[in-house]
Amino acid sequence: MSRKSSSKISRRHFVEGTGAGLVAAATVAPLKGQAPGADVKNRTQGAPSSPPRTKIKFTINGAERGMEVEDHWTLVELLRDHLGLTGSKIGCDRGECGACTVLLDGKSVYSCSQLGVWIDGKSIITIEGLAKNGRLDPLQQAFIDHDGPQCGFCTSGQLMSAKALLMHNPHPSAEEVRAGMTGNICRCSNYNHYVEAVLAASAAGPSTGSGGNAA
Amino acid sequence: MTTLNSVGHATPRIDALKRVTGGATYTADIAVPNMLYARVLRSPHPHARIRKIDLSKAQALPGVKTILTHDNCDIIWSSGDTRNKRYLFNNPVRFAGDAVAAVAAVDRYVAEEALRLIEVDYETLPFVLEPEEALKPDAPEIQPGGNLSPNNQGKAEPAIEKRGNIEEGFKAADHVFEDRYQTPHINNAQLEPRASMAHWEGDKLIVYASTQGIANCRTDIAKDMKIPVEKVQVICQYMGGGFGNKNQCHDFDLMAAELSKRADAPVRLEFTRKEDFISVHGRWPTVQYYKVGVKNDGMLTAIQMRGYSGMGPYRKGAGDISGVEVYQVPHVEKTSYMVYTNKAVSANFRAPAYPQGVFALESVMDDAAHGLKMDPLEFRLKNYTRKFRDQQPYSSSGLEDCLRKGAERFGWKQRWRPAAADTGVVKRGVGMGMGMFPSSLGRSNAILRVDSKGNYDVHVGVTDCGTAAKTTMALIAAEALEAPLDRITVIWGDTDTCPYSVGESGSRTTVFTGQAVIEAAKDLKKQIAEKGLPKGDQFWRADAAPNPQLRDLARYSFTAHFAEVEVDTETGHIRVTKFVAAHDSGRIVNPLTAESQVKGGATTGIGMALHEQLLYDKRSGLPLTAGYYNARIMTHMDAPEIEVVWVETDDPYGPYGAKTLGEPTIIPAVAAVANAFFNATGKRVKELPLTRDKVLGALSEGALA
Ligand code: FES
Ligand code: FES
Repeated sequence: MSRKSSSKISRRHFVEGTGAGLVAAATVAPLKGQAPGADVKNRTQGAPSSPPRTKIKFTINGAERGMEVEDHWTLVELLRDHLGLTGSKIGCDRGECGACTVLLDGKSVYSCSQLGVWIDGKSIITIEGLAKNGRLDPLQQAFIDHDGPQCGFCTSGQLMSAKALLMHNPHPSAEEVRAGMTGNICRCSNYNHYVEAVLAASAAGPSTGSGGNAA
Repeated sequence: MTTLNSVGHATPRIDALKRVTGGATYTADIAVPNMLYARVLRSPHPHARIRKIDLSKAQALPGVKTILTHDNCDIIWSSGDTRNKRYLFNNPVRFAGDAVAAVAAVDRYVAEEALRLIEVDYETLPFVLEPEEALKPDAPEIQPGGNLSPNNQGKAEPAIEKRGNIEEGFKAADHVFEDRYQTPHINNAQLEPRASMAHWEGDKLIVYASTQGIANCRTDIAKDMKIPVEKVQVICQYMGGGFGNKNQCHDFDLMAAELSKRADAPVRLEFTRKEDFISVHGRWPTVQYYKVGVKNDGMLTAIQMRGYSGMGPYRKGAGDISGVEVYQVPHVEKTSYMVYTNKAVSANFRAPAYPQGVFALESVMDDAAHGLKMDPLEFRLKNYTRKFRDQQPYSSSGLEDCLRKGAERFGWKQRWRPAAADTGVVKRGVGMGMGMFPSSLGRSNAILRVDSKGNYDVHVGVTDCGTAAKTTMALIAAEALEAPLDRITVIWGDTDTCPYSVGESGSRTTVFTGQAVIEAAKDLKKQIAEKGLPKGDQFWRADAAPNPQLRDLARYSFTAHFAEVEVDTETGHIRVTKFVAAHDSGRIVNPLTAESQVKGGATTGIGMALHEQLLYDKRSGLPLTAGYYNARIMTHMDAPEIEVVWVETDDPYGPYGAKTLGEPTIIPAVAAVANAFFNATGKRVKELPLTRDKVLGALSEGALA
């Protein structure tokens, strides 16, 4: 991606991007333009030894794609660094916090604790794939209405866990929501509001039943 | 209190959409062309002199660009220690986790491989972990001036606060209660690990920081990098929490900046979660000795406290132990020792000096009430503070209402019974605590603009670390401008586009920056009244930098928390079954996000009471619980429902009478839970957290208590 030698953005361009930006999107959008799907071949040129690579095919947020990955990449690295999908966060990188939660064939997994090569032939839904055709998932709307996110760093993970929960149990009790999402730590500790929001989304409608893209 | 149009109405965050779609960009999400990755090598010893660092193998690794160590980098991180010189890389290293080297390389894998190839020859030194031990004459010396950290005047003396005459206070008492309490180091554990992305454009340094205050972060970076402040731009659009440990500039910002300078490329430095736990900072651990005098009728006569705070090897935080002011009492003596130890550094974590102080204080007070056979609520109603330090009137105080209304919502009268009344295997009990936190006034800035269509831009230097500060500013602007909320755009988090703001620490943003927004809005409204709206692509603009001061008044937020617990006497497990948090934070600007603050703060306090700690191995001096699981951070399953009671006092200062909120929310929660445990069992655990070993120990005649 960024170290690909042919893809230099001039420094001037970079700084214009940052200087002009008054809001987040304007500030960083120009900088990330080439991250998604960029050729990774030159990435570790000059590294001590070239790590083994594997060609894989998978479905990401409904779209099929093929890619050559380094075998040691975790799934969250693949998503964030090589597909430009930075909505999944790394809170611990060791399976403790849940910030990296995504759906793998409809089940919630910690993407920091999966290897990228393992998703060959599988389907992944990330936070970026939760809204469909510009329409928010009822969970997202409920998270807004009930003020789920404080700092928001755990939110993608909370949403994906909640999504998996409602796909398998459309009308959970509060206790079931807590149990289903207990692998998602929120240090702002807005647990009450997250649970309320999931219950509200579950009461709001059946739209979470099929899992949409996850099928 | 009059009802307002925008302020006081539950309003979803103006940036909520970004936060629920993955569109909010945090520091570690920012990637730019040719960016290098940096990692830090840390000391595996609690105290050691570095004899030699051999970089030859690491430097020979293809892809390694730059390595910093104490041999080649003498940058002083001035906000990392306010008393001594703290370099980015120190020799000797003084705690397990002290930075030894930083590597920038083409990717993470190479950077991490390089860390493994750096050979460090350490001469290990004796170490000391506990503050009382560290003050003994034969203790290992951590800083050249000795282990008692100097005060502001540079004198190695304890901080002493006196009022009245403590001996007279005890003479006047019918009963005296005394005890020793202890609280551990607890990491802030904000979910976003530390990251910084730095980049130079000529002689201008641009830092994408994860900071609670872009303005103070910028000033600190400029000072330590020895460049003019105008040559530094700090950007922080979204940040994943800090709770006090992302204020000012941090060593990772400086490391990223220096690595970037030397490598002539953008550098993103990332900490691992373990590094975040051991090498940043957490709440200071304390040992507190209390002695309290009371009359037969329950009136307090004296409070004496001698406390020791373990600051780690560098003095980054104040280290005081607070809470006593919440009681009305004529004779007070407080002596606090801030002590260097070889544990992780201690500094600010949500209400820095309070929850640990109030835990101990409220435990002693609970013992006093128990000893006098009084209802703890009655005891507090008798003794709560009427004037600050019995002298200065408050600008407003809802403390009595917090006690009364909180107790009513909780059902205190029905639920409270004298201690250990429950004879079952699972014992139920209730407890309470009260607290206060300064809500000062002070300087902050805002710039407002209006265009020809009546759209307003509000430029404020906030970052919004999760507090909903942007939304709060928008609501205050809408109110002051008499404009609908959707006409307001907030511009935040970039020192090139935002004026100075106080920074999101000390719970000051709503009051300080909110007041600046009001002042600028007044000016802008006046301009519009005089000239009408601007035409075409013109703007009217208003700047404000108010610096309001209080005269002869103390301004505080107040709170009382009530908890019910169930203690399983066979397993030692404690479960919180009901929790009410009553808060006087003046007028509540946004009840929706304010409830989030209270619920979050109280929950964190419950975790502090029950199981959170960074535990150290006495023999090796190494931290054992550096991670979410082991530090036992609260989870969904641990978190009870928190009921919030607002006591909205009509305060004459602050924006529409708003007072501080974020930090008071954690203060009495710890004590409420600990006191509920006592009420359930009749036993007191005097060392936090109330883990099962201590609970079972206390239940079997307090062997470990
Ligand atoms: S980042 Fe994957 S569980 Fe924490
Ligand atoms: S909202 Fe901050 S960690 Fe959950």
